[in-house]
Amino acid sequence: MSEHPDETPLLERLLARTGQGDSRAFAQLYEHTSPRLFGLCVRMLRDRHEAEEVLQEVFVTVWRRAGDYDAELAAATTWLVTLTRNKAIDRLRQKRARAPLAIVEDFDTLADEGPGPTADAQASQEYERLRRCLETLEPQDRHSIREAFFSGATYKELADRLQVPLGTMKSRIRRALAQLRTCLET
Amino acid sequence: MTISSDEGIPDLRYAEYVLGVLDAQGRDQVEREMAESEAAAAAVERWRRRLLPLAQEIPPESPPAHLWQRIRGELQLVAPGAPEQGARPGVWESLRFWHRFSLVTGALLAAACVAIVALVLRRPAAPPIPYMASTITESGGRVGWTATMDIAKARMIVVPAAPQGVRAGRSPELWLIPHGGKPIAVGVISATSPITIRLAPALLAELGPTAVLAVSVEPRGGSPTGRPTGPVIGQGSIGAAPAGNHAADAATAMLISLPDSALG
Repeated sequence: MSEHPDETPLLERLLARTGQGDSRAFAQLYEHTSPRLFGLCVRMLRDRHEAEEVLQEVFVTVWRRAGDYDAELAAATTWLVTLTRNKAIDRLRQKRARAPLAIVEDFDTLADEGPGPTADAQASQEYERLRRCLETLEPQDRHSIREAFFSGATYKELADRLQVPLGTMKSRIRRALAQLRTCLET
Repeated sequence: MTISSDEGIPDLRYAEYVLGVLDAQGRDQVEREMAESEAAAAAVERWRRRLLPLAQEIPPESPPAHLWQRIRGELQLVAPGAPEQGARPGVWESLRFWHRFSLVTGALLAAACVAIVALVLRRPAAPPIPYMASTITESGGRVGWTATMDIAKARMIVVPAAPQGVRAGRSPELWLIPHGGKPIAVGVISATSPITIRLAPALLAELGPTAVLAVSVEPRGGSPTGRPTGPVIGQGSIGAAPAGNHAADAATAMLISLPDSALG
């Protein structure tokens, strides 16, 4: 997300000050990060109303838990994206428990959104490396990784949607993850 | 590379966790491992660094303005909605606000000598508890709300009398205007029921006889910008009673005697 060289330290500062109860810093943090995090929620939940609820949960948690944030351990962006994805995935898992069939729709359009251009004019170096490594994967593996990441779906849901056996889905994604790890470490 | 080596498999499970493909039970399991093992937590963190940059492919999208109001409301925060860049707006900002105020309620400004309700509540064997109070009047001198500030408990209780300036579907919002400063959002209040608002330290510091409370009419849920956007329909000075000055206003005294549980 926002990993522009001059913006990342700002987010870390704002997050640290939020952790000290500085509500003005919290408002600035919201202003700087909410569009990215909201985009993520909308994409994962495919429902604006739910995306709003999840984003509200995210920022309420940010205010309450920013004191736990440790800039030594993770970039602010990583912390915020992790928190957002975790809340969205929790919501998706609950939703599945309530209405197992409700999220199958839309898969085809989602599937073809493909390796879209990054939204940031200045993509981070980390993103560029990841993108290059994704390009080295088999197309169906690369597609499965993106699909999994953006949908927050379980192996079982992905297998149902792509109409492949569960075992095939698992080995496809594990193979892709292992290849990514090797590629990113060299 | 092999994916079935003994060290490969647990590491890939952390990757699966970060990617989001594990079911609820699988996620719980990994989170327990992270809590118990630094090596597990570090492995997950490495995978986050590897995979989360993918989120950059998603176009940003601004959430609706009311969402910030909802977050602020849930946390009972007195945070400005739109943070300022640069210098603190000074007298001009304040003048603009006051200019609009005077256009809307000129008669009210002329009669700005509102009744200052101020009291010190005395309890046996307890030191005096500082309270401040304000009667917020609408045009014509009609009392709209009574606000009582309990400094020790850092809260304000705003009780509507019979405010008439709030149209259906709109929300009255309370602002604190420090002398020479710009309005600070206190919170959305109600035209029909008492509201208790927690006062942040920054706001407490601004309370005093030179500050003024004002009520503006905002879209439902409060100002989308963190500043007054609608007409200002009422205002009141804030009074602090010197020690020994006894309570004068029965309604306010009654308020203060309410048990905490009645105030939420």
